[in-house]
Amino acid sequence: MKFLRLFLCLVTLCLTACMSHLFLDTSTRLQVENKTDVAILGLDVISEDGTSVQPWIKDTIEPGEKSKVVEEDWVGTFRVRVRFDKWNGKHTVSVSACETKVTPPIRVYAVLAKQSDANVIEKQASSCNDQSIDMTYAEVELDFEGGSQYLVVSEDEDGKAVFKFR
Amino acid sequence: MKYELKKILLLLTITAGVAFADPIPTEALTQGGLVMRDRQLRDIGLVMRGGRGGFFDIGYTYTPSSEQLQLNSKYGIHDGFAFRHHYGIYGSWVLDSISHLGFLTWFDRAGWDSQDFFFFPHYGKFAHISSAFTWGFSYTNTKFDYTAAIGMQHQNLELAGSRVYPDESDSLLFYWAHARYKNVSFQGSFYRGTFQTLRLSLDLESRELYGGVGSGFKTYLPNLNATIYRRKTNGDDDNFIRLNWEQNLYKQILYSDVTFDFPDYGFRSAILKYYPDPSRMIGFEASCMRRHEHSGAKDLLWGGSIDLLFLRFGYNSAFDYENMFHAKGTFIVEIKFHIGSVDRKFYGRGAAKAAPMETTQSQFDLKKFMKNRAEQNQGQPTIDAQGNKVIHAKGIRYEKADAVETTSSEGGN
Repeated sequence: MKFLRLFLCLVTLCLTACMSHLFLDTSTRLQVENKTDVAILGLDVISEDGTSVQPWIKDTIEPGEKSKVVEEDWVGTFRVRVRFDKWNGKHTVSVSACETKVTPPIRVYAVLAKQSDANVIEKQASSCNDQSIDMTYAEVELDFEGGSQYLVVSEDEDGKAVFKFR
Repeated sequence: MKYELKKILLLLTITAGVAFADPIPTEALTQGGLVMRDRQLRDIGLVMRGGRGGFFDIGYTYTPSSEQLQLNSKYGIHDGFAFRHHYGIYGSWVLDSISHLGFLTWFDRAGWDSQDFFFFPHYGKFAHISSAFTWGFSYTNTKFDYTAAIGMQHQNLELAGSRVYPDESDSLLFYWAHARYKNVSFQGSFYRGTFQTLRLSLDLESRELYGGVGSGFKTYLPNLNATIYRRKTNGDDDNFIRLNWEQNLYKQILYSDVTFDFPDYGFRSAILKYYPDPSRMIGFEASCMRRHEHSGAKDLLWGGSIDLLFLRFGYNSAFDYENMFHAKGTFIVEIKFHIGSVDRKFYGRGAAKAAPMETTQSQFDLKKFMKNRAEQNQGQPTIDAQGNKVIHAKGIRYEKADAVETTSSEGGN
């Protein structure tokens, strides 16, 4: 009887998959809180060369508000881009849906963050219609452990963007 | 104290096994089908050296940590598991005293997923799962010592996450054929009339297993094989030749195996293999592999593996680099078993001699055993401390004087 039970357990394990399913998350449920005084236009995961973009949080987050919880399969270490409406009073035009074809940065100014991995930069790039577009964003490499994660975006007294998981 | 030291060493090994692990590139996964098909055909080629008997091979690669073989995509590093499950079965039947008809199936399922599994994958958004299935028939004539085999090979792409992998053909069908005369064999695989690989093998080494000699200079002859691989670079044919040279160095227990690529790359890998027994059930190997990623000595990957019949441990070994999507810097454990048999003798993959086995009469004769025991009990009545014979009653028999039949009951009431 004991062996039968053990056998049935093993069969169930085999059929479902492996033990790791009990304690490993394969997706991240991300919620972003905006503690800066500018609106966040969205959060994307971008490739290292900047040519491919996977949008994650698409809705605009007004200052002091939280985004919806969006579940995606990003578990690991990825380069994340947070797009702002403006930074330090410089207003720029928001990017269009053709953002996947951005060219390398033509001018980069307003390098605000002291830490090397989180800079808010303004980039001028041509869209798919060859129209010049500007976007203001911060790029940061983040470690997503999976499960429910709460990202707080804030601005410190020096005017740098600060990203913190809570 | 000793226990503590052991614990620390174990922890260090585990940490080293995970901390220095390099993530596997997406390109290696896309190339996976090609690697699987070629390895299966090479395996089949080894079994066809005899072309009769049977072969069985099963294995499951076990990587316990999700940070051990991460995926390196253009977006970053994904946590998850690389896996390789495989089996190979070959069986043959004797038609008459010289003809053997065989059937074979080889199956590999390999890739990367965000969860590990046995049968049903998680199918994550960045998963890449593909399989290769080879089957075929073989005919062997022992009088003229030749084998002919023919079959098909299916390569199926189960899933490739569209975000990071290029578009691939969903399923491909290949044909393969193998012909052997004595120790020369020729193997080819084709796709719609164009060849994929063409291989010529010269197994010059004399093998006791297939009727050769067990020692002497003939066992020191080399095993050579040359394979032409079809390759396209920017739409143009860019075929290359891979040359393998396996050489017995000492009494068929120490071998070297060197691989060269022509015309471009030159040296590819060198493996030193040590088998405590020529039957190759247990093996140790040290390997050096050129990766074509860096220049000079930095490009060489040094590693090794230990094969303990049911378990195989590898670290940076050439086999794992090739078959586990360029895995390096981590320990890879494979739960496996493989055995081949020819003429009721057993051997490991590619072996020259059969495993030493003692034939014992395993049939148990119960009648004889009972009779022997009964005789022993009868002949030796026990004697107590006073020297009197003691007879143990085996039951109590009641007899009724007026009963017609004698009834007996054992054990009393």
